[in-house]
Amino acid sequence: MAEFSTSIKDQGNINVVYLRGFLDAHTAPSLENTFSGLVDKGRYQIVVNFKDLAYISSAGLGVFMAFIEKIRENNGDIKLTSMSDKVFNIFDLLGFPLLYEIFKTEEEAVKKFNEIK
Amino acid sequence: MISNISAENLMKNLKIQLLLVIAATLFIFILFFFPTESFWLILLNEVLVISAVILLLLSIHDFITAGKFNLLSLVMNLGILNAIMFFFITFSDSILNLIYNNLGDKIKNPDLIYTIISFFYISIFVSSLSYIYLTFRQFYFTGQKRERSLYFNTMTIFFLLSVATAFIDKFPGQSYINHTFLIISIILIGINSIRISWIAFLSKKEKVQLLILSIVILTLFILNLIKSGDDTTHYKILNGFSPALNNFLQLMMIYGIVYFSILFFTTLFHIPTAEAYDRKAKEVSSLQYFSRLITQVLDFNDLAETITDIAIKVCNADTSWIALTHDGNQKIIANKNIGFVDAGTLTKYILNETNSSLEKIEKAVFRLNSLRNVPQLTEKYSSLAISVLRVHTEIKGYLFAAKKGDSIFDDEDKDALNTFTDYASVAMENAKLLEESIEKERLEKELDVAREIQRKILPSKNPEYNGLSISSTFIPAFEVGGDYYDFFEINENQLGFVIADVSGKGITAAFIMAEVKGIFESLSQTSLSPKEILINANRILRRTLDRKSFVSAAFGFLDLKEEKMFLARAGHCPILLIRDGATQDIRPSGLGLGLNYTSYFASTLEEIKLDLKENDVLVLFTDGITEAKNLEKEDFGESNFEKILIENSHLSAQEISNEVIKGVTLFSQDTTQHDDITLVIFKWKQKFNLIGEQEWQNSAPQSKTRVI
Repeated sequence: MAEFSTSIKDQGNINVVYLRGFLDAHTAPSLENTFSGLVDKGRYQIVVNFKDLAYISSAGLGVFMAFIEKIRENNGDIKLTSMSDKVFNIFDLLGFPLLYEIFKTEEEAVKKFNEIK
Repeated sequence: MISNISAENLMKNLKIQLLLVIAATLFIFILFFFPTESFWLILLNEVLVISAVILLLLSIHDFITAGKFNLLSLVMNLGILNAIMFFFITFSDSILNLIYNNLGDKIKNPDLIYTIISFFYISIFVSSLSYIYLTFRQFYFTGQKRERSLYFNTMTIFFLLSVATAFIDKFPGQSYINHTFLIISIILIGINSIRISWIAFLSKKEKVQLLILSIVILTLFILNLIKSGDDTTHYKILNGFSPALNNFLQLMMIYGIVYFSILFFTTLFHIPTAEAYDRKAKEVSSLQYFSRLITQVLDFNDLAETITDIAIKVCNADTSWIALTHDGNQKIIANKNIGFVDAGTLTKYILNETNSSLEKIEKAVFRLNSLRNVPQLTEKYSSLAISVLRVHTEIKGYLFAAKKGDSIFDDEDKDALNTFTDYASVAMENAKLLEESIEKERLEKELDVAREIQRKILPSKNPEYNGLSISSTFIPAFEVGGDYYDFFEINENQLGFVIADVSGKGITAAFIMAEVKGIFESLSQTSLSPKEILINANRILRRTLDRKSFVSAAFGFLDLKEEKMFLARAGHCPILLIRDGATQDIRPSGLGLGLNYTSYFASTLEEIKLDLKENDVLVLFTDGITEAKNLEKEDFGESNFEKILIENSHLSAQEISNEVIKGVTLFSQDTTQHDDITLVIFKWKQKFNLIGEQEWQNSAPQSKTRVI
């Protein structure tokens, strides 16, 4: 059915995670693995690029909630970028913009991380 | 049945009784008339002796055929009887003479004692010879494919003729009669001894045992024949008593010599091929065993264990293990007679050495001693054979077999392993498919339960309020989506309502839904505002929700007397208001329940108060509607939704709902519904507006709203 894949780009201390396809209850475990892989390696500065994500369901949103606490405890963050209007609308309805920093472009998010440093 | 058995018993007893009577008669006969030269007396004696032997044969025959005898143990018995006879024949001279001489001095009537002793001596021989004859008979009929009793019976008749005419020897010039029968008997013995087919079914070990036994027994037969010659005491006793018996002894000894000579050579020629025969027999039985296994319902792990068991038998290996390919790595799922670590090390080593090249793996037998850099193992393995487990062309894993010590797999072992692996692949694939289908069935059952929970949680009917038309539609997705809505009738003027969507699907979502219902059910009975209710709900849900789960919800009250709506929203889709041919999103801000448990949550929540106007339509929905997909994976979307709402806003709540569902259904036809669809519509109407009321009542026959 819905296919989903992730890829990771190392950019200094920051990792950019690219999402592609459909993120729902069936594909969410794949993103969970990606995140837990990063967290295990102590990579807590994460930018998630939504440019190629076609759809996200509530289970997909849950993945971000699962890791944010641990990441912030370690002075890291998950910053979200490049969302389509449709995907942003789903985040917005639930109030995610109140919990996460959402940027128009990946560069802005990376810049934000570097400023803090 | 019972009468049959008793008849048989009667027959047996009769035979034995008859035997005893004849034996007694014989004894008395000998006592009174021997030694004699009278032709008629000798003939009578011979008739009695032969009848006694025949009756004895019949009695022992019943006994032998009653039980099932191992042929090798029969051969052993022959050897023992021969040894006993050899003992008596050899020592008859010295012992019997000694006894006779000693007794002759002391006792008045030594002839009587002599007769008694020789009678017992003879009894031993008669019994032994009868047993030997019956054993040969058993040998003859074992493993015969065709009915050949004619040959054996003919031989027996000539035995009888030969034996019966033996006494004529005593009368010179007539001996040729007996000699003719004897020679014919010997020829028949030769013919009947040629086909010894039962050896083929023995294992190699048994064949070797048989070879040694047969040479020993053959020697005993020859010695017994020679020793029973003319000038021994033994000959005097036996021949003197009955020439028939002596003749019978000679015949059996000749039979023994011929039969065991042939047996010896046949066995000798069978020995080189015995191993191959053993292996083939083992292969056949393994494959039979395995094809039975395939059809049985088996646990995957049990099956893997069994496969390693059989693999060891099929290719004469000492150890065997299965490595399955999983994400490019090998996982040992069964190991027999080899440590888990050793199996893993060897698997990795061999696949590296060959670079998983299939041709090498399938053809070669690896000699571990000649390979370089063999890793450290806890035991020494000499030879290794690998076969590929594949379904169609896809490689599923490898079946390994290894030998310890010095022996090496040969090509036949390898072929056997390859053939067997084909069976194993099919069986493993079957077991896996079965397991998957069971798992699928389990999930479906689970979903049935989840749907049942959801059905019971949702309100079974809409409340009835003056001036308010209410419709509610719920269409569950196959995988329960976690949608929930409810009404709380506070009093005749106040109606509470909630709509929520639990994240995730299936049984987990259904359980959270049940908890959410309980929370709102009780909170709605307090005098809290919608905002306070959501804050409390968030606090309570903290105990239930894991970090990944959350609930979007909107809670509100309709005050029909004041004509107002109070609403707070926690992350849920906005409430739509259709008024004057346009839609408005009613979207007070607020985080979803379960996203934040600090005081920050409360600070994000906003509560809205809305004054209701005549013909206002309020629409509560979940994203199952706006995210319904068509075949091109496009969303139904908000604009389509709002368009249908506006176009039909003059209709009753139920009719508007029907139109929306019709629209969504048409849009998403031929696709699967992925999420629950929930649609709740309130239509507000001024009280006592008679014209409008009339119109509305006519157009909505299925509406449950009662109008005064």
